[in-house]
Amino acid sequence: MSAATETDEPIAPPRPGVLARLLREPAAAFSLLLVVLLIAAAILAPLLAPTDPYDNDLSLAMQPPGSEGLPLGADAQGRDMITRLLFGLRVSLLMGFAAVVLGGGLGAALGFLAAFYHRWLDGPIMRLVDIMLSFPAILVGLAIAAIFGPGIFSVVMALSVATVPLMARIVRGSAMVVMRLDYIEAARATGMTDARLIWKHLAPNCLSAIFVFATLRFGQVILLGSALSFLGLGAQPPVPELGAMASEGRNFLFFAPHIAVVPCILIFIVVLAFNVLGDALRDALDPRLRV
Amino acid sequence: MRKTIGAALLALAAAVPAGDALAQAANPRNTLVVLREIDADNYDPPRSTARSAGETIYMMSDTLVALDFDMRTIRPLLAERWEVSPDGKTYTFHLRRDVTFCDGRPFTADDVVYSINRWIDPATRSPVRWRAGPVKEVRARDAYTVEYELNEPFGELLYQLTLFFASIVDRNSVERLGQNFGVQGFNGTGPYCWVSWTPRQDLVLQRHPNYRWGPAGMYQNPSPQVDRVVWRIAPESQTRLAALQTGQGDVTQYVPPIAVQQLQRTPNIRMSRQDNYFWDHFMGFKVDKPVVNDPAVRRAINMAVNRDAMVRATWFGTAVPADSYLNPATTGFDAEAARLVPRFDPDGARRVLDEAGWRMGSDGVRVKDGQRASFLVYGLQTQAAQQYLQAIQADLRRIGIEMRIQLWDATVGWGRLATQEFDAFVMSYPYLTATDGFSLYFNSANRPTPNRMNWNDPATDAALREAQTAVDPAVRAAAIGRAQRIIAENNVWLPVAREQLWVASAARVEGVRAHGIYGVALYKGLDIRLTR
Repeated sequence: MSAATETDEPIAPPRPGVLARLLREPAAAFSLLLVVLLIAAAILAPLLAPTDPYDNDLSLAMQPPGSEGLPLGADAQGRDMITRLLFGLRVSLLMGFAAVVLGGGLGAALGFLAAFYHRWLDGPIMRLVDIMLSFPAILVGLAIAAIFGPGIFSVVMALSVATVPLMARIVRGSAMVVMRLDYIEAARATGMTDARLIWKHLAPNCLSAIFVFATLRFGQVILLGSALSFLGLGAQPPVPELGAMASEGRNFLFFAPHIAVVPCILIFIVVLAFNVLGDALRDALDPRLRV
Repeated sequence: MRKTIGAALLALAAAVPAGDALAQAANPRNTLVVLREIDADNYDPPRSTARSAGETIYMMSDTLVALDFDMRTIRPLLAERWEVSPDGKTYTFHLRRDVTFCDGRPFTADDVVYSINRWIDPATRSPVRWRAGPVKEVRARDAYTVEYELNEPFGELLYQLTLFFASIVDRNSVERLGQNFGVQGFNGTGPYCWVSWTPRQDLVLQRHPNYRWGPAGMYQNPSPQVDRVVWRIAPESQTRLAALQTGQGDVTQYVPPIAVQQLQRTPNIRMSRQDNYFWDHFMGFKVDKPVVNDPAVRRAINMAVNRDAMVRATWFGTAVPADSYLNPATTGFDAEAARLVPRFDPDGARRVLDEAGWRMGSDGVRVKDGQRASFLVYGLQTQAAQQYLQAIQADLRRIGIEMRIQLWDATVGWGRLATQEFDAFVMSYPYLTATDGFSLYFNSANRPTPNRMNWNDPATDAALREAQTAVDPAVRAAAIGRAQRIIAENNVWLPVAREQLWVASAARVEGVRAHGIYGVALYKGLDIRLTR
C-alpha cells in the first residue's frame, strides 16, 4: 500500500499522453503494430483468405510450404494453410477476447464489491477467489468439457473461470488504495449512492490496472485456450483454431512438420505481441515512471 | 524430396532415446519384445472384450478349434476332430490326449465343460455370452470327448469357438484366484505361460515347455520358438517406431498408417501384411432421427463421398475403400448386395436430394419442410476418425448437407455412443463372418447398442435368424445374402474403409506372419524366432 501512496496523485486513467509514451519505446511500438495487424487480419480473414477455409482438396494433402499456390503448404485435408491460419487466428482471438471480457468483467465486479463493502464481503469473496485459484485451468476445462461436451463454448467457460480470481485480486488491490483517498470520502459526503460511487469514481480510477492486466491476460488465455484445444477439448473440426491445428499436425510431425509448426509459430507471435504490449502499457500507465 | 526428408526425420527419431519405459539396454537373447498401444483391464477370457486382452490370451491358452490365415478354414487345436449331428444341434469334439496346462496338469474334457459353462454362466457377466450360441448343455462323454448341445442349430458355432472368449482355462487356478484370475495369474494350455503383469507397463510370458499341439497346417512348428515374450506398452506411435529401429522392441502391429511406406523402405525392418483382415470402419445412421431418417438423404450421402480420396488421405495406402458392407473375402459375402451400394456420383447425389424435395437454402444447406439438412455425428477421438470425418464433411457440404462432428475421448465416448443424442456415429469393428458382423449390428434385439442405428426390420431379423439357425449351409448363405441386400438398399451405413493389417518386425525376428483374428496380429506366434 505504501508504495502507491508515496505519490500524491491517484493512479490515473489512460490520458492522451499514454499512446505517445507507448510509442517512444521501439519494442512497445512494434508489438502494438503487431497486435493491430493481427486483429485486422483476423477481422478481415474472409477478405484476405485465398480459399474457402472448409473446402478441402485431398489431392493437395500435406503439400509442403513453397508448393505452387501454397506458400505455407496445405494441411492433412489439402486446405491452404494461410486460409486456415487466418480463420484460426480469428477463432483464437475471439475465444481469448470472450474469455477476458467475461472472466475479467465478473472478476472486476467481485473485486470492486470486495473492496467497497470491505467489512462484509471482503472475506467471503476473497476466500471464494482462493478456492477458484486452487483449480488448474486445464482441470476446470476437462470438467466443463465433460459436462457440456468439447467445443469453443467449453473453452471460453474454462478460460473465464480461470480469469475471474486473478482479475478479482488485482481489482480489489487497486480499489482498496483508491477507497482511502479523499475524493471518495468527498463523493460519499455529497450523498451519492453506492452504485454511482463505484461506477463514477472507483472504477475509472482502477481502469489502468484492469487494462494492463487484461492485455497481459489476453496472451496467457490464448496460450491456455490453445492448450485446451490441443487436448481436443476446444474447437471441433472443421473449425480452425490454432491449438487444434497444432494438435492435428502433431500426428504428421515426422512427415509434414509444417502442419503443426506453422500454427505454433503463430501462437508464439500472438502471445509474445500481447505480452510485450501489456508490459509496455504497464510502464506507460505507471505514474511513477512518468518523467 | 519430401520422402527423403521424411526418412531422415525417421532416422533422427531412431537416434533420439525413447521414453522411460523403453530406456533399457537392447533386449536379452531369446526374449521377444512386443510393443503395443494400450493395456487391457484384465486377461480373463470371458470377461474382457479388448483386443489387447486377446493378444496375450491367444498365447496363454488354446481354443477347441483354430482359424487359419485365410479367415475361413477351421483347424483342429485342442479338439483333433469333431462331428456335427444331422439336426445341427450337437457338436461332438474329440480332444487331444497329450495336452497339459502350464502347471503340468493334464487337460481333459472336464476342463472344456468347466470353461464353456463359466463363459455362459450369468454370474460371470460375460459381455460376449451370446457368441457361445443357444447352449442347452455342454457335457463330457468321456475324459477326451465333449458334447456341445444346442437348443437350436447355430451355424456360426465353430467360428465363434475360435475367439479367445472360448479359451480353455484351469479350474483350480480360477477358483483359487477368483476375480483376480487374469489379473494376478493365469493357467492355460497355450504356447506361453504367465509370469507377471505390471499394468500399463508390461506383461511377461515364458515358453510352455511341453507345448507341441499347435494348430496343424497353419504353422511350420507345433511348438513355440522363443524363451520369453514381453508385451510392452508404448502409447506414443513415434516411441514405438523409434524403439523398433533401435532394437528396444522387436515387433508391433500398432504402426501409424503414414509410417508404413517408410518402414517398408527401412532396411532393418520387415513388414508383414494380412489382406484377409476383417476390421472395417463405417458410419451408421440413426434411421429414426430427423434428416437421416430420409432414405434419399442416406443414399445421397453414400453417393457424395469420394471414398478413394478420403481413404488415401487417411490411411496412406494401408486401407482399402469400403465399397461394400463386408470384406469380399468374408464367409457369407454377397456380391449382389455389394453392387447395391451407391458409387461416387456427386451430381447424382444432388439429383436424389432435389427429387426428394430438399431445396438449396441461402446458407448452402438444403431445407425441406423447414428442416435443415444438418446432422450430428459422434465418434471416438482417433486420428483416423478426425481425418476421414473432415473429408466426409467437406464432400457433404458440396451437395448441401451439413454434418456436425463431435468426437469424444474413449473414457466418456462409449457412454455417449449408447445414448440417442446423436444422428450418426462412426466406429470400427472386427468380425469373423458375414453372419457374425450383421447379427451384431442389424438385429433389432440389439438396440440401442450395438444396433445404434435403431434398425428395426422384421425381414432383416428373419433373415439373420435363418442365417444363424439353418442346418443347410446353402440356406444360411442365401439368408445372410438377403440381409445384406436389405441393408444395402436402405443405406443404413456409409461404409468407409477396410483396414489392412501390417506388422512391423526388427531384423532379428523371423517367422512373423500377420493373422488378425479379432484384430490380433500374432495369434499363436509359433513360428516366431530370434536370430540373435
